[in-house]
Amino acid sequence: MKKYQLGEFEEVVMLTVGILYKDAYGVSIKKEIESRLKRGVSVGALQTALKRLEDKGYLKSFDGEATEERAGRPKKYFQITALGKKAMDYSKSTRDELWRAIPKMAWNRLIDVRYKTQDLEPLILRL
Amino acid sequence: MSNKPPKSFLKFFRWFCHPKLRDSIEGDLMELYQERKVESGKLKADMKFMRDVLLLLRPSIIKPTGGYENLNTYGMYKSYFKISLRHLIKNKTFTFINVSGLTIGFLSFILLGLYIQDELSFDSFHKDSAIMYRMLQHEKQEDGTVRNAAEIAGLIIKESAAVYPEIEEYCRITAFGRAGLGNDPANRNYHRIVGADVNFFTFFDFPLIEGSKDRVLRNPNEVVLNETLSKKYFGSESPIGKRIWSSWSQDDKPLEFTVVGVMKDFPKNSHLQIEALFSEATWPALFDWYNDFVSSDWASNSYVTYVKLKENSNVAALSSKIERLVKSHYPTDRPFKSEFSFQPFNQVHLYSENIQGNGFNSNDSGIKPFYLYIFGVVGFLLLLIACLNYMNLATAAAFKRTREIGMRKSLGAPRGQLVAQFVIDSILIAGVSFLLSVVLLNVLLPFFRTFTQKQLLLTSLPASWYLMIIGAVFVTAILSAIYPAIISLKISTARALKGEVKAINQSFSIRKMLLTAQFAVSIAMIASTLVIYNQLKFIREKDLGMNVESLLVIDINSGNLRRNFETVKAEFAKPAEVVSITTSTRVPGEWKSFPIATVNAEGDSKKNEMIFVGIDNDFLKTYDIELMEGRNFNSGSSDSTKVILTESGVKQLGLTNPIGQIIEIPTIRTDADVERLDRIFKAEVVGVAKDFHFESLKNNLMPVIFGAPNTIIQRIDYYTLKIKTANWDETISKLKEINGKIDPNSPLEYTFLDNRFEEFYQADAKRGQIFLTFSIIIVLITCMGLFALVSYSVESRTKEIGVRKVLGASVHSIIGLVSKEFLVLVLAAGVIGLPLSWYFMNSWLQEFAYRMPLGAWIFVLAAVISLLIAFATIGIRTFNAARVNPVESLRSE
Repeated sequence: MKKYQLGEFEEVVMLTVGILYKDAYGVSIKKEIESRLKRGVSVGALQTALKRLEDKGYLKSFDGEATEERAGRPKKYFQITALGKKAMDYSKSTRDELWRAIPKMAWNRLIDVRYKTQDLEPLILRL
Repeated sequence: MSNKPPKSFLKFFRWFCHPKLRDSIEGDLMELYQERKVESGKLKADMKFMRDVLLLLRPSIIKPTGGYENLNTYGMYKSYFKISLRHLIKNKTFTFINVSGLTIGFLSFILLGLYIQDELSFDSFHKDSAIMYRMLQHEKQEDGTVRNAAEIAGLIIKESAAVYPEIEEYCRITAFGRAGLGNDPANRNYHRIVGADVNFFTFFDFPLIEGSKDRVLRNPNEVVLNETLSKKYFGSESPIGKRIWSSWSQDDKPLEFTVVGVMKDFPKNSHLQIEALFSEATWPALFDWYNDFVSSDWASNSYVTYVKLKENSNVAALSSKIERLVKSHYPTDRPFKSEFSFQPFNQVHLYSENIQGNGFNSNDSGIKPFYLYIFGVVGFLLLLIACLNYMNLATAAAFKRTREIGMRKSLGAPRGQLVAQFVIDSILIAGVSFLLSVVLLNVLLPFFRTFTQKQLLLTSLPASWYLMIIGAVFVTAILSAIYPAIISLKISTARALKGEVKAINQSFSIRKMLLTAQFAVSIAMIASTLVIYNQLKFIREKDLGMNVESLLVIDINSGNLRRNFETVKAEFAKPAEVVSITTSTRVPGEWKSFPIATVNAEGDSKKNEMIFVGIDNDFLKTYDIELMEGRNFNSGSSDSTKVILTESGVKQLGLTNPIGQIIEIPTIRTDADVERLDRIFKAEVVGVAKDFHFESLKNNLMPVIFGAPNTIIQRIDYYTLKIKTANWDETISKLKEINGKIDPNSPLEYTFLDNRFEEFYQADAKRGQIFLTFSIIIVLITCMGLFALVSYSVESRTKEIGVRKVLGASVHSIIGLVSKEFLVLVLAAGVIGLPLSWYFMNSWLQEFAYRMPLGAWIFVLAAVISLLIAFATIGIRTFNAARVNPVESLRSE
């Protein structure tokens, strides 16, 4: 099972790199995640994840152009590797499998449970 | 308003961030900062910047505390090894020849190193060995020669030590012949009786297992046994305080000694080899003349004297002071013509040639420094040849790898990297060979130990030797790699890539030179081996002037055997196998010291040295020595003032009509000890015998003078039995029985005379074996090199051979074509190698007084053998190539 390990945030980063295709570098990935998922991403967390993914061989990087607003520092573009693609596929397929494995009844019972708790609420309050 | 983020944080970030990530992350931060500043102002942007920087402070972003750059180029080395391995596996013949060649080279080098180290390590285990010396006396003889003696008069050092402060300490050792030892009559053997001063165990560092080194050897009749003797005569129990029987007697009772100590067996690399050490105090108690002799003797040669001198003493000055001292005490009736010297202790083993009275130098027959150098040279040569082979092959192989070299060059490999590939190649081969040779070494060492009769512990090699061997591995590797590396640097990239390297001819000649050098060594070795074996054969087959076959010599060790020798002879002659029996004072091939008489004809002052042997009337018959003139001795004692001379003796004395002439013997010398007879021994010559070789053929034939069996000069010491038997064991047990009847206390001690003569040449025979072994090894390695070179030549000419065959060339003509150029090399090698071996063998032969003629045939034979071996090697390789169907070889185009 340890074959392709991909954490939740890592998966998000991978997916975003995929979305951005040829334009995936630090700032653009950060913005993309923030805008799509409505959650803040710190530069540190993102860079750590990127480095880890690169070390695992899921991403590869190459230096891009340097612009003035970057104070002459080059952009580091990321690209998904074949291995990275496999890891993502694996991650998705395991999720799907798990989803499919959930019996329909589970969703019904979930509703029942909600009702039951509502019924019990006054009782709990009284106690 | 600056549009830069807070400087301190930026600096902080730059400081902690991993340099590989720094630029891109800093870029991201700056980009974000600019955006945020535009969006929400500098303050907020600053705050966010600071927060981002702090949140970046994570392990994976922070640079490691150690180095962060790739300081090594492991990757490159990995690649070198990979390529090298592939190359080695691809070229199996190449690898096999190189690895086996180098393995043999290393193995021989280490074995010879062990041997040489052992020879050089002699006597160095004494902690004071640097200041220890053995005293030598050099006495000028009447004939102008100098006699060197290792034994000197006992008083010399005693008096000198009292006067000269340079002498720190001394220890004298003296030998008293042999005696049988052992309490059990069935378990008795003869051992050398050696006495030493009381300080023996403090002077030398021979450890005692039992007994205290300050207390042993103080009293008369005390003995210290070595471990072996203690086990032999006392078993596992402690012998301390016990008595041991000896064949010596005092007041007609066997003399018993008290064991006071057990010493560890002396290391094999000690020139002193003593089994039983007796206290010096024993002799005055045993011999009543001893004290008088010792306290007045300045002239005899009786004590081997070891001294310790103060550091930085002037040895030469001390010697001359001692000379003056001795001169002032020297007996007035004898001329003093001696010099003294101090021989450094650790030179005793190797540099004791021509020194008499070397009785304690049990390794006397040991190797001479000359051979040690030769062995050293051989070891280096073997290694060198193996290296040359490797260079040759690697160069040849480098041409096959020109494309690889070209590729590396075009990709910008610097010189160092090109060279590194070859160095790694050879380090790999050298390393594997070295490991293999270490494995083989462990397998072969036991055999080598038996062969050399040395302990030869791998641990006895000092660390510097191991460093040297490992250094040799690397030097070999680097030397072997140099040539191919140079080639690879020289060729141009474009030509290398095209695979057309025309430098072959030029470098081929260098490799031919290397091969020629190898063959020169091989031919020299073959010739030397032939010379050694022929000389040994010559010596064995040389007519000694007598017969030594099937002669059994019995040592006389007991009074019972010595008294009434006529009766003893009759007893021993009883078995039918005994053809004849004789008794004599000494026997040919003598292993003990023998007396040499100074002889002159009556009225003639010219002195001649002759070996004196007392014999009975059966001697000449038993030894088949021909009587030329006059008569043999009569039986009985009527001829006690008659002598028989050998022809050369007659010639030396200048006697024209020897029979009836009177000769005089004024002095007798044994080893270095010259004894003046109380009355000049006068005798009449009654017969002349044909010359025979009393000593080994290394010495010139010396005249012999035969006297009666028991004279004032000497008593009988041997019986010689001529035996004709099919079953030696049975005959010997019969003789043992007879011996037991005559003297139940002393066991029969016997030797076969032909073995004795053989032993003289044992060291040479061994040398012959060593040379043979190394010749084979060197020839083998050289042939491997030749084989490889021919392979290369043939392979690069595959197409040429194909074309020739198509045009009708025969297999023979093709083999001839390839062989020719190599056989010429072998001939050239002969021109270099043969004079070399002639020079060395000539100097070896000088050791023998009788040498085979060093004819040209031996060298021609050596050359022919080498040519045949070379031709066979070339033939095997070429034959296959020449037989290949030209279709095969031409199709590759």
